[in-house]
This record gives sequence, structure tokens and C-alpha cells, in this order.
Amino acid sequence: MITASKLSKSFAEVKALSELSFQVNSGEVYGLLGPNGAGKTTTLRILATLIEASSGTASVNGFDIKKDAEEVRKSIGVVNGGMGLYDRLTGKEVLYYFASFYGMSKAATDKRIKELDDLLDLGDTLSRRTTGFSTGMKQKIVIARAVLHDPPVIFFDEATSGLDIMARRAVMNFVKAYPSQSRAVIYSTHVMSEVEELCDRVGIIYKGKLIAEDKVEALIEQSGERNLENAFFKLIERSGSEMHT
Amino acid sequence: MRLSFILQVAKKEIVSTLRDRRAIVSSLLIPLLILPFVMLGLPLLLGGLFQREQSNVTEIAVTGLEYLPPELKTELEAQNISFSETSNLEALVRDGEYQVALSIPEGFNDKLESGEKVSLTLISKTGNLRSELNASKIGEAVSKFSQAIVTQRLSAAGLSAEILEPIGVETLDASSDAERSSGQLAWLIPFFIAMWTLTGGQVTALDATAGEKERGTLESLLVSPVRRVEVVVGKFLSTLTFGLSASVMAILGYLLGGALLRSIFLKQLDEGAEEVVQILGGSLQTTPLSIILLLLSALLLASLISALLISITMFARTYKEAQSYVAPLSFVMIIPAIGLQFSDFFGTNIIVYLVPILNALVLMDDIVKGQVAFLPLLATWASLIGFSVLFLDFAFRNFRREGVIFRT
Ligand SMILES: Nc1ncnc2c1ncn2[C@@H]1O[C@H](COP(=O)(O)OP(=O)(O)OP(=O)(O)O)[C@@H](O)[C@H]1O
Ligand SMILES: [Mg+2]
Repeated sequence: MITASKLSKSFAEVKALSELSFQVNSGEVYGLLGPNGAGKTTTLRILATLIEASSGTASVNGFDIKKDAEEVRKSIGVVNGGMGLYDRLTGKEVLYYFASFYGMSKAATDKRIKELDDLLDLGDTLSRRTTGFSTGMKQKIVIARAVLHDPPVIFFDEATSGLDIMARRAVMNFVKAYPSQSRAVIYSTHVMSEVEELCDRVGIIYKGKLIAEDKVEALIEQSGERNLENAFFKLIERSGSEMHT
Repeated sequence: MRLSFILQVAKKEIVSTLRDRRAIVSSLLIPLLILPFVMLGLPLLLGGLFQREQSNVTEIAVTGLEYLPPELKTELEAQNISFSETSNLEALVRDGEYQVALSIPEGFNDKLESGEKVSLTLISKTGNLRSELNASKIGEAVSKFSQAIVTQRLSAAGLSAEILEPIGVETLDASSDAERSSGQLAWLIPFFIAMWTLTGGQVTALDATAGEKERGTLESLLVSPVRRVEVVVGKFLSTLTFGLSASVMAILGYLLGGALLRSIFLKQLDEGAEEVVQILGGSLQTTPLSIILLLLSALLLASLISALLISITMFARTYKEAQSYVAPLSFVMIIPAIGLQFSDFFGTNIIVYLVPILNALVLMDDIVKGQVAFLPLLATWASLIGFSVLFLDFAFRNFRREGVIFRT
């Protein structure tokens, strides 16, 4: 459902990605795990057609990110940690605004909002102006907005950053409950426990390169460590020394 | 480009701005009220002060009061002037103890009667309005008195006073009614239109570009199927809406101020009131055509300013940063407005009507004065449209650049 092949990206003198390739199948939650500056956000921005790769290709939901950028955007929903809302609009107005870009009718939007209210427990965030929302309330509307059009592909990028335990749990429950056989999810984070809990497969990304990719248990086993965190350090250390030689 | 998407973007920005109470006050209410306030306040203040100064009894410092001719004394007293005999006049006026002082030399009246040449010394402070006003009152009384003596002496010699002025000059004002009634402050109308367009448009432009980045909403907008060009045009249209609204409010304020000025003050202030009202532009003559031309020109000016605002504020990451970018734009408006006061010197040169912003100001000045011509109108409108498109294109190109959207 998502295919990235040899994606590279340079910002001036910084090489953010070098020849990154991976695949995500439908029905899968794919974890993108890496330290700060590894290139996770850059990867997701390229796949979301926000920025262009310096080289390499990718397709999302069968659409080429370069040739069919608009179809790609219709197929995806994006949730970031730092995303905000329009503070002089109510939660519902924010959702209506975005629904209009997906060509959703008023009736269809209302129906969908009702479904999402049940799923995310949006409560009075729908009728209140978003000024003064807590980070958790905000993030619920951000998620509702991202999946409003029921996209087959969803990107989460540090979606739980800044949230308290309760709000974080709510987001994670959504990621657990929402995907289905027809959907593919990329879940980018540097929090090990989230990956362990949510992801079917994990790609570990370091300095713009994919240094390992497998099921969580397989990665742990492969490294001979007890848990994902130790496996992660070991894999990074190994690849660091390989890069030097 | 899909119109419905553009309108969605514009509508959202308009709703957001309308819900910002401070923005509404600063970009719609203040432009409506400020001109009536200034136009009514000024004559009220100045007229009141002048009248008081005219009618109040003013005490002036004098030396040699006994040498003052009695007729002149009566004349001065009729002008509400009283006398206080003292010495050291210059210092007294300098220190502000008296507004004016009059020094009458010894034997003034006797010498005058014997036909000798005599002179008085009038001491005032130039640059002090009250002092000058009183000095001119005294000066007038003296010259009136002196005129009377001349006439008297000439008729004693069997001559008519007319021989003093062998050639008379009559002046005739060739300006049209619209020109005459637009007043000395007519150039303020284009200036206010430009300034308020900038102020009104700014509120929306900042929120729609830098505000969107600062809040972290831009990315979610750009991953939706709306195209970047639609986003730019939508934001441009909403900026244009508020820029134009603010300038229309300013024009309405001007007309309102003029109407109030006429209805209230023409009755209250007697002499000179007509002139005050006219100088302040209160008797501006508007025809339906001139209003339509003015509005169309204001619209095109607003579109240029909006395109400029969008293309500049887009670079900013935060509201504050964007504000510092647009601050210098006020100067861009002030410079042509200053030039406008000298428009008589370059008004006929067509090149003026090709320079963006300056051309709009000059053209609107022409419209207000009822002297607009076809070619300048065409040149101005074409230039404004051309430059708007240019800036909009610039904005759109930059909106596609990663470095602008994700500037770190
Ligand atoms: N717009 C940009 N301009 C310049 N350099 C950039 C830009 N965006 C990212 N980079 C650089 O590219 C590299 C990868 O950044 P990226 O944001 O993709 O990392 P990340 O894995 O998401 O990190 P984090 O966990 O901190 O979010 C970093 O070195 C970063 O400094
Ligand atoms: Mg990141």
C-alpha cells in the first residue's frame, strides 16, 4: 500500500535521508523508530507530498507521490505532535472546513462527525472554540480532522508528544482500534513502548538510513537483547561503527 | 483552480477575522469614526479658541500711552484691547507675561499732526499663535487709522485717494466647483484610503499566513486536497475584503464628517466658517460617477496592497516577525502621499500613473477634484492590475518552496 524506494533528501549541507526504501502493506501498522534528527519527519513529509525528495520514488495507495500528488493527498490523513487548530473556530467548524476540501456533503460530514465522536469521545470540543483547549482535547480534534474522509493511509508523527498519560492512552487506543485490513498506518516515534504495543513491523531509521526492519520480537531476538530498547541501542551502535569503517 | 475551494479558504479567513473583536474595532470602527472626530474636533477647537481670543479683552503692555492719538486709542479699545503702562516691554513679552506690547515714542501724536514721519514699535513673539493673532489685530487697527489720515491729507490737497493705487489687480478663481469644494485637505482622502487599506488588510494577512504557521495549522491544510494556488488566492481575497472594507469605512467617515460639519458648524460659526468647512473638505462634491470611479480605484489599490501583504507575510514564521515585515509598508504609503501635495507639478505626466500606489493616490486625488481623464485612469488601473498579478504570482511561487513553508 505504501512503497518507498531509494528516497534521498538533502537540505543545503544536511543529508537528511539517503536511499531509504521500505514497504507497508494494507492491514499493517508500521513503526518508524529513530533518534532525533534520524529523518522520520522528513520521510513522512515526502510521502505526504509536502516536500519533494531529492531522488528516489514512492507511491501511496497506488499513486505516485510526484505524478499524482493530489490523489495521494486524498488518500492520506496526517497527525503530528505539534499540529494546532484555528482558535477562533469551534471544533466542528474546523472539521467542516476540512471536509469541504474532500468534497464531503454536509450530511456525510455530520454522520462522520457522529462516528468520530463515538470513537474519540470528542464531547464539547465540537461546540467550543478551540482557544483554551488542552493539548489532549486539541489532539482529539486533530485526529478527527485527519481521518474525517476515512483515508486508507494514515501517518502519525510523534502524535503523543506533549500529552499526559490519559490523553496519550486515548491516542494509542485509537491507533489500536482504528486500523483494519484495508488500511495502512505509519507510526513514527522515538518512544519504544508505543512501538512495542502498536506496531506490527518496525523500521529503525538512523542518520537517514534504514538500519533494520522486522517484527518487534524478531528485532529483539536478532540482537540477542531482552527488550526493544536495548535492541535499538545495539543496532544503532553497530550501524554507527559500520558507517565509520 | 477550483472556485469553491478558493471561496472556502476565503470564507474561513473572513469568519476568523470577524470574530476578532480587536480587529473589527481597529479596521472597521476606527476608520469610520476618526475622520468625523478630526473634522469636527479641529474647527471646534480652533474656532472656539480664535473666537475667544477675538472677543476676550486683551491687556497689552505699553509705554508712552499719553502720546497715543485718541482716535487710535478708541479704535484699539473697540477691538477689545486694554492698556497697561509699564516698561521693559521686550522682556515681558519674551517671558510670556503679555502676548503683545506697544511702544509709543515721545511726542508721537504731536509729530503725527505736524505731518512728520513717525513710527510705532509692536512687540510680539513670532511662532506664538496667540501673540501673532493679537499683534495682527493691533497692526490692522493702526493701518486703518493710518489709511484714514492719508485720505484726509489727500483730500485736503484736493486729491483723491485713488492716485495711490493706479493699477488694480483683480483675481479670478478658475478652478471647477469640485476642485474648489474639495478643499486643501482633499489629498487626505487618497492617503486615508491607502493607509486604512493597509491597516485593514494587515489583520487578515498576518493571521492567514504567519498566524497559520505559528499555530501549526499550515501543514494540515497543505496535506489536504486543496491546492496551494487555491490557498494563496483564498487568503488574498479575504485580505482584499478587509482592506477594502476598512477604506470604504474611511470614505464613509469622511462623508459623514463633512455632512456633520456642514449641518452643525455652518450655523454656529459665522464668518469664516464656510472657509473652515471647505478647507477641511466638508463640502466635497460627489457625483455617482465619481463615487464609482473612486471605489473601483480603491478596490484595485486594495488588491495591490493585499497581494503585497500576502507575499511578504508569508515568509514570517510568527505573527511578531510578520508585523516587523509590514511595518515599513506605512512609509511606502506616506512617501507618495507627501508627493501628492505637489501633484500640481507632475500631474500631467503619464509616467506618474504607471508607478504603483503613487498612481492610485494621484488618480483618486484627480477623481475627488473632478478632473480625472481617461488615459491616466486607464494607465493606473492597468498598472494596479498588472502589479497585483505580479505580486500574487510571486506569493504563489514562494508558497510552493519548502524553505518558505518549513522555514526553521
Ligand atoms: N526544513 C529543513 N531545513 C534544514 N534541515 C532540515 C529541515 N528539516 C529537517 N532538517 C534536517 O534533516 C534531518 C532529519 O530531520 P527530521 O526532522 O526528519 O528528523 P526526525 O527523525 O523527525 O527527528 P525528531 O525525532 O527530532 O523529530 C535533521 O538533521 C534536520 O536538522
Ligand atoms: Mg520529527
